[in-house]
Amino acid sequence: MSLSRLLERLLQLIPVLLGVSAIAFLMMALTPGDPVQIMIGDQSITPEQEAELRRGLGLDRPLLERFFIFLGNALQFDFGTSFYHRRPVSDVIAERLPATIELSLVALIVALVTAIPLGVLAAIRKNSILDRLATVGSLLGVSLPGFWFGILLIMLFAVHLQILPVSGRIGYSSEVSTITGFLLFDTLLHGDLPAFGDALRHILLPAITLGLPMTAILMRVTRTSMLEVLRQDYVTFADAKGLPRRRVLFRHALKNALIPTVSVAAIETGSLLGGNMIVEAVFGWPGLGRLVVESIFLRNYPLVQAAVLLYAVTYVLLNFIADILYTVLNPRVKL
Amino acid sequence: MNALPRLLLATALATCSVLMPAAVSAEDLIVGFTLDADTLDPANHRKRETETVIRNIYDGLLTRDPDMRVVPEIAESMVQVSPTVYDFKIRSGIKFHDGTDMTAEDVKFSLDRVTVEGAMGDGQTSPRQGLMGPVASVEIVDGDTVRITLKEPWPILPAMLPNQQIVSKAFVEANGTAGMATMSNGTGPFKLGEWRKGDAIILQRFDDYYGGAPDIAPVGAACVDRVIFKIIPESASRVAALLAGDVHIINELPTFSIAQVKANAGTDVMTVNGTRSFFLAMNMQGEVFDDLKVRQAAAHAIDKDLIIDRILDGTAARIEGILSPDAFGSSELPAVSYDPEKAKALLAEAGYPDGISITMDTEGAFKDTAEAIASMLTNAGIRTTVAIGESAQLTEKWRTAGKPKSGDMYFSSWGNGSLDPFDIFTPTHKTNDRGNSAGYANPALDKLLDDAAVEMDTGKRAEMYREAELMINADQPYVYLWVPQDIYGVSKKLSGWKPSADSRINLHDACIN
Repeated sequence: MSLSRLLERLLQLIPVLLGVSAIAFLMMALTPGDPVQIMIGDQSITPEQEAELRRGLGLDRPLLERFFIFLGNALQFDFGTSFYHRRPVSDVIAERLPATIELSLVALIVALVTAIPLGVLAAIRKNSILDRLATVGSLLGVSLPGFWFGILLIMLFAVHLQILPVSGRIGYSSEVSTITGFLLFDTLLHGDLPAFGDALRHILLPAITLGLPMTAILMRVTRTSMLEVLRQDYVTFADAKGLPRRRVLFRHALKNALIPTVSVAAIETGSLLGGNMIVEAVFGWPGLGRLVVESIFLRNYPLVQAAVLLYAVTYVLLNFIADILYTVLNPRVKL
Repeated sequence: MNALPRLLLATALATCSVLMPAAVSAEDLIVGFTLDADTLDPANHRKRETETVIRNIYDGLLTRDPDMRVVPEIAESMVQVSPTVYDFKIRSGIKFHDGTDMTAEDVKFSLDRVTVEGAMGDGQTSPRQGLMGPVASVEIVDGDTVRITLKEPWPILPAMLPNQQIVSKAFVEANGTAGMATMSNGTGPFKLGEWRKGDAIILQRFDDYYGGAPDIAPVGAACVDRVIFKIIPESASRVAALLAGDVHIINELPTFSIAQVKANAGTDVMTVNGTRSFFLAMNMQGEVFDDLKVRQAAAHAIDKDLIIDRILDGTAARIEGILSPDAFGSSELPAVSYDPEKAKALLAEAGYPDGISITMDTEGAFKDTAEAIASMLTNAGIRTTVAIGESAQLTEKWRTAGKPKSGDMYFSSWGNGSLDPFDIFTPTHKTNDRGNSAGYANPALDKLLDDAAVEMDTGKRAEMYREAELMINADQPYVYLWVPQDIYGVSKKLSGWKPSADSRINLHDACIN
């Protein structure tokens, strides 16, 4: 892909982001529910005190004025002050983001390392017991709701077997000073192996829960595309040449079969962010998803707007990466 | 053995050793808690859970004992000089966590920060200003006495003061509002160790603690070295953490988990009477519930005892008026009997021999109970459909402060943390007040509530609220249902801790054996 093409794609981001900002702002502003009333809750308050509270949150201004203030500030990466945390939204989000990214990445790795071998095996041994088990398994994987599967894992591994913790990111005897914010990485950088193990024990169950639907999807994609590739003439030719079966499968077939898997994986990574909201709540994972859900219910406008914008940017970028990967893996396709 | 299996074996062994659980230090008391604190600034927050955390770090002038009585904490004594003037003598020898002495100056500064417009810092007004009512000024009258003067009598000032904590003037001036959000310097039993946002708040014992309220034994430094608020929002996971022994206290134990927690060898259930009254608001501005007979029919249709017994697992107290049995001014009231036949007869008298069809709004969390209520109403001729809405949206629909409402019936509740009627009676029953979801308007009651709010003679005041309760008991703008208990799951290793109905989870006296 040429550099100018790349730049053009990046420039396309600008209208998308403007559109998303407008939608995020309007969706929040037009949703029924008054942030001030929610904040006051069950309390007697004078109209003057209520007006003062409204003024403090900047909600006394007309909608249009608020929108332009939001847009103007957002362009300077100022997303306002969280109604409840009373600190800049960007600070609050930055504290939570590494946990979410770390969990998503580990879930992605879990999905890739289980889905690809299983998908390939199922394709090679089509219609065998293994293939059928994998098919049923993947159907279950897509269908099992995360909140239920997560609780099931907790009951088994944390309550009955007591080998893994119920929730959290790391135990309280471990103290890790932040370098990157990714605990698995930071503990290794500090050379603190026990803390690394502790962090690993904490992330296992949430990552498996989060990665399960993706594993199922990727396995199906890999199996189907592997089957298709195995029917291709060049594979038959390679077999006819007398190449060892292993070499045919892994050198010739798999490389092409993985093209759809990789692009689906990149796009599905975006949906990991969405799935995070539930998994984070179940496992008490201190990530962004949980914060956003809480903020939506409290009509914490600034935080929700900034988070939606962040999700949108991530999703767009992941799609962009998927496109690039596709052209790299498959030189016949041009952007 | 070739290289690959050997490598795999080595990795597996290494993983096993790394995955062994790390040793837990013995003295940590861990609370599985629903929500993280939003901020640690006592003047700059608006959530009950945030206050729960803050009150282990900061103390107030007054506090409440486990039986909800207001007792002195940082104040040594309180004297009411006149209906609008209160004097607080400040205890000496209290230290902040940074080692500096706390003075009357800090008390004045803390209260000004909440009550004076623009005084919180950066020209902002505290979002907690409304909780302090009509405070006119806070002055130091001699070295160690702080005087609060009100614009008008407000008898619930002592009941509201436990919600305000004392900060260090010097610390706030040095760190600003922004610093106060994430740092702390209180006089409470614990100081902030580490705040892992969204995950846990780790507090350490403050060894120079003055001891806390003398009326709440034991007095002295906290029992445990560290307490940790571990954030687990999902209730099933919170219960699992308790059963697994990961935590020692969990809040908001769901009623359906009570049996499981009791059956488990190492855990138990503790309850305390709550402060939130549940009711059905009937839209008196609507077409059917403007008739007293229809409202009475609804009240007779519901078997409260059955719902309390079967759905709430016995963890609620039934009410016949708005006040909780523990609230000031509450009294024995005429009970509305469960009598579906009488309900049908009342409907017929009101001109609805074939019954009526209505919709009941409620939040998702109360769906089970709402369905049970709906089936009882339907059984008595009030065919009820339950409509689940989101809290924010229902608030806008039902708390209209006098503006016309569109619904029929609203299954909801109102909290009364101060346990004073002023906080619950006035907003839910005064004409056009913000919580008056029934759209009830009774000038005689309005006057009575206004007078009671400023009546200084407690005996007379209690009598006025009884009169008000009898009025609403007769007019039935709401079907008054019950006050649920707050339910906690606790480890049997825990001792010295009692749940409290106000926002506090007071960990000062809690020990782990």
